[in-house]
Amino acid sequence: MEMAYEDVNRHETQFEMKAMSLSGTHPGFEPRILAFTCNWCAYAAADLAGTARAQYPANLRIIRVMCSGMVHPSLVTEAFEYGADGVLLMGCHLGECHYQDGNEKAQMRSLVIEEVLSLMGLEPERFRLVWCSSAEAERFAAIVRETDEALRSIGPSRFRKNT
Amino acid sequence: MRETVAESGCASVREITIEPVTRIEGHARIGISLDENGNVAEARVHIMSMRGFEKFIEGRAAEEVPGIVTRICGICPWQHHLAANKAVDGCFGIEVPPAGRLLRELTQVLAHISDKVLHFFFLAGPDFLVDSQQYETRNIMGIARQAPELAKRVIQMRYRAQMMLEKFAGRSIHPDAIVPGGFSKPMSRRERDELHAGAVEQLEFARFALDFAREHVFSRFNAEFLKLGEINTGFLGMVNGEDGGLSLSDGILRLMHPDGSFQEFSSREYTDFIGEHIEPWTYAKFPYARGWGEGFSMDLDAPRGIYRTNCLARINVADFIPTPVAQAELLEFRSLFGRPAQSTMLYHWARLIELLYTCEKVIELLEDPRITDNYIRSDAVPKAGRGVGCVEAPRGTLIHDYSTDENGFITRANLIVGTTHNLAPINMSVNCVARDLIKDGQVTEEALNRIEMAMRAYDP
Amino acid sequence: MSLKLCSEALSGCSGCEMSLLNTGGGSLSLFDKFEILHMPILMDHKYLGCNGGDGGIHIPKAGVGLISGGIRNEQHLKIAEEMRRQCDIIIAFGTCAAYGGIPAMMNLFEDKDLFRRYYRTAEATDSSLNPTQVIPPFLERTFALDEMIAVDFFIPGCPPHPDSITAALESIVQGKSLELPLLSVCDSCPAKREGKGSVNKIRRFVRNARYQPDRPVSEMRCLLEQGYLCMGPVTLAGCAGMNGGPPRCIDVRVPCRGCHGPVRKGGNQLMDILNALASNGIDTKNLPDRLSSLRFSGAHGRLNWRFAKA
Repeated sequence: MEMAYEDVNRHETQFEMKAMSLSGTHPGFEPRILAFTCNWCAYAAADLAGTARAQYPANLRIIRVMCSGMVHPSLVTEAFEYGADGVLLMGCHLGECHYQDGNEKAQMRSLVIEEVLSLMGLEPERFRLVWCSSAEAERFAAIVRETDEALRSIGPSRFRKNT
Repeated sequence: MRETVAESGCASVREITIEPVTRIEGHARIGISLDENGNVAEARVHIMSMRGFEKFIEGRAAEEVPGIVTRICGICPWQHHLAANKAVDGCFGIEVPPAGRLLRELTQVLAHISDKVLHFFFLAGPDFLVDSQQYETRNIMGIARQAPELAKRVIQMRYRAQMMLEKFAGRSIHPDAIVPGGFSKPMSRRERDELHAGAVEQLEFARFALDFAREHVFSRFNAEFLKLGEINTGFLGMVNGEDGGLSLSDGILRLMHPDGSFQEFSSREYTDFIGEHIEPWTYAKFPYARGWGEGFSMDLDAPRGIYRTNCLARINVADFIPTPVAQAELLEFRSLFGRPAQSTMLYHWARLIELLYTCEKVIELLEDPRITDNYIRSDAVPKAGRGVGCVEAPRGTLIHDYSTDENGFITRANLIVGTTHNLAPINMSVNCVARDLIKDGQVTEEALNRIEMAMRAYDP
Repeated sequence: MSLKLCSEALSGCSGCEMSLLNTGGGSLSLFDKFEILHMPILMDHKYLGCNGGDGGIHIPKAGVGLISGGIRNEQHLKIAEEMRRQCDIIIAFGTCAAYGGIPAMMNLFEDKDLFRRYYRTAEATDSSLNPTQVIPPFLERTFALDEMIAVDFFIPGCPPHPDSITAALESIVQGKSLELPLLSVCDSCPAKREGKGSVNKIRRFVRNARYQPDRPVSEMRCLLEQGYLCMGPVTLAGCAGMNGGPPRCIDVRVPCRGCHGPVRKGGNQLMDILNALASNGIDTKNLPDRLSSLRFSGAHGRLNWRFAKA
């Protein structure tokens, strides 16, 4: 459901204020977020968020995959090894996968990802598996904003080189 | 090449270091300090590394541990494999079916063969068999150049003993075939026949080896040579619980005093008899006979609590060897050297007597009709418990002591590795030789190699 | 003209050296191709030139340096660095040198807990302070060789098969590079595959696999399909040598545990096996002792007591 223009504005202002207050914990820290988005749902939502001008942080990079189920855990761990502060894996809602059950595989694999990330010493909040349908532009933006906020308070990843 | 102290130009050399000790397994340094007269004040064997197996097997599923602890040693992995499996059997309360027990004993005893051939010919042999005692040639390659036919045969026979294990049990090094409750796959009749032929060949080689050694090596063991590294100690080894005969797989432990009297105990009670002492200059601990109530001392004139393991110890403590060819050799050995025999150099002779036993025993096991039975493993249910697995490894009495929780995970483990029982005796033998051969600051390379020979005899 | 070779063993077990002695099918033909200048298990070259000396590690110059075992203490590091200086080519020989191997399981624990257990609380031990004289101190954990020095070639395996050793050393002598085919153990496994079937949970190897006793291993059903954890899919092929023999543990009806290391150099055997199981709908939460999947590849920061769950 689309929010009224005024609500979006207020939301954004609140977001900016929060960001400014939180950046005091890790001054100058801009979280780098990578999102694997499935072509049929999540990527479409991201696209729609763009045309609908739903606001979300610019420090997001998107990689479009055909299905969330094709994301091997090593892609996520490599993203962190390359210096990502947070990684999102986004697919269709359960029952709506374009390939029937690809997102179910993603769900099972995400448990593996969580375990491996904890063995790497990364905080569990850095990785999120979320479902987002192609119409949910605002939801997409909200997810990214929430992730960005959470990462600002956690701080930079231990793998991040000083850039 | 090492220079002598006199030529070295090093002002007054107080410390002599032999590192690495070569033709042994593992990392050791011998450190010798001289006093102001150039005589030996102290000689120590420093074990330079430690990996921590008993710590990192905590938290492991117990049935996985026998495949992990093989990596304690790449020369005797079958020994750790069997001891660990017996410990897990104890934790889970499993009885192994007869064919399983036979296959376990067969593979474990068979593994002794290549180990002994390796030691006598590849590791220790060059000290006796290579004419020119230049360090560059004092090794198996030197033997190959000087006596190519002998070298070829020796290398082939060691290889064949390894391949017997490889063919039947998948791997000779770091096996997986022994499992909690028994063995992983049965032996077919064809495999049995092939192994039998191989074992007969090994026995023939073992006879050759002892005859050869008697003629070319032991004939030079005069009274003076036999004093090299000789110390007075007790002995520990496994014997058959019923008749006191030599046993490498199952039995009770016999701890003998230097005077020949002994006590017997089951491996489960080892903590009542064996203690472990620590010195600040070596990673390894020193097992000693706490049960004697005399404490621990490596003083050459007044040793306390010191006993040895490995082949000389085993043939000392056993009343007899239950296979005929080896037993005949033992009787001859005892007529020459008595019981218990104390001379360290006799380890080499004892090793070849034991080699005969292991070949004969393998044949005997293969001739047991039950060994080709299909029922080889009892199912296990992981549970809480404690188990002590004990076998005679080539280097000595090996003890794996584990406890498990209700899920069958290891909660604690204690390992006493065969060679470690000999660490105090090795220090004493090295000390003894160093004091004899290094005097007035005169050090020769030959003397330094002799010091190593005193250590090598124990096959550490 | 034979190539000069130096060999050292660090935090290992000598198994790789024993496999080296099994090359040549019962001859030491490999040794004819090399002039061995330093190899403590077989010959007497020592570190120190002069009695007492400078306490340094001196290894002669050579074309090939073979190093087995991982790096655990300061002396191992010094030896590895000296070997790197003196040898033109350095080979990480065996899984311990390449990936850390079993000794890298110690990375799951703090050294202080090891010392307390070993020197103070172990049964039968006369409690004492940690030894510290003469012996080299531990580094902060167990490292694979390439974490500390540049390595030119890797021969994985625990131990590597003698034929693999021969093939590797022969390529190096001929100046060719060593290419191990990036296949998993499954590729050379003869067991029957019939599909996942009803397996949805892994069971522990506390009873033997199902097979006909007198039938060949090619008639045994895949061990993963029988519900056992087999690391075949995430382990490099070749443990049985170059002739395509069945994987050595499968041959005795025992599941693979991954001793040949990961398929690719940077592979994570735990992540890969959990992923393989999860992708097939198998519940991995109940898999006991999952960290043991890294038992052979715990270096490179994979096993770390700071992060590993008990």
